[in-house]
Amino acid sequence: MRSLGIRLAGLVTLTLALTGCASSEVRSYTARGVDLLQPRTYNWARDDARATGDPRLDNNRFFEEHVRAAVDEQLANKGFAKAESPDVIVHYHASVIQDVKNRGVEPGGDCKECAPDVYDQATLLIDLVDAHTDQLVWRGWAKGHIDGVVDDQQWMERRIDEVVARIMRELPARAREASE
Amino acid sequence: MRLLLRFAVTIFSAATLTGCATSMTVSSHVEHGLDLSRYRTFDWGPADALPTGDARLDQNPFFKDRVQGAVEKGLAARGFRLVALGESADLLIHYHANISRRVTVAHADHAYGYCAQADCPPALLEYEAGTLVLDIMDARTNELIWRGWAQSSVQDLLDKPGEMAKTINDGVARMLLRLPPTL
Repeated sequence: MRSLGIRLAGLVTLTLALTGCASSEVRSYTARGVDLLQPRTYNWARDDARATGDPRLDNNRFFEEHVRAAVDEQLANKGFAKAESPDVIVHYHASVIQDVKNRGVEPGGDCKECAPDVYDQATLLIDLVDAHTDQLVWRGWAKGHIDGVVDDQQWMERRIDEVVARIMRELPARAREASE
Repeated sequence: MRLLLRFAVTIFSAATLTGCATSMTVSSHVEHGLDLSRYRTFDWGPADALPTGDARLDQNPFFKDRVQGAVEKGLAARGFRLVALGESADLLIHYHANISRRVTVAHADHAYGYCAQADCPPALLEYEAGTLVLDIMDARTNELIWRGWAQSSVQDLLDKPGEMAKTINDGVARMLLRLPPTL
């Protein structure tokens, strides 16, 4: 029983991640029939804070303000302006879970190298919601490993900047127009 | 997966304590350019409504006394004064504790020698991870200006008041070392 348990657990092994620091998986979704070149103005949703799954990040002003500033910058680059009665409302949500990655070990393979990969995985998602119909028009998100990132404020800020820039790249580009 | 974890837990329940209790991670976030010398006094702010994740920590006067005592002592050593009843303070302090289940990789063969096989592979080990978050807010703006935290395994610690107190004192002291200098 004892050795079986260890063996089974040991076979639950990993591939990746050590490299994971820089690599986040970025995806987006656009609602059907939505022309993302239409909305020009945005504002932040009021009081959007939800539990993240990481007590270090809950109600963390330094995290929240950095995400908002990064999104503000990217939206400005896309030609969006902040407005009191905007076309779209922007939400963001961050969540962190601990995950375990497995890798099948070849029969008879040497198991010295095959430690299970245990890591903190964060998801940051950014939603654009039509301010008039309340329908989600666009959602972009990134998933990546963040072991050690939250404990290092500068690193966290860099990661936010990078990942927000990559998420917002998914939003269709358009020519900047100076006037309405 | 659950089954695997269960195996691992049964096998290594003894090893857990020694394996994880020793390592504590302490870090902090700070407002850019924070000048703490502007602040002289502190008080305890209202508690938050976030869940602790463990009923044993909810409304636990022993835990609360320990944390508050450690923080008051540490802040006093840094020259901050706890205000008297009814007096207004420059800083509001607030803490949040959380316990969640996490897993870690235990290399049984090297560390404990429990393994029957020569090539005994590493195992997953489940444990209770505790996080203590300490927030310091500017009382006038009600904005967070500093947050420190300590994370450590608290496996079986909740049932041992003496060790729990030591862990709290250690965590708070190390957190407060990270406060920016006041001079």
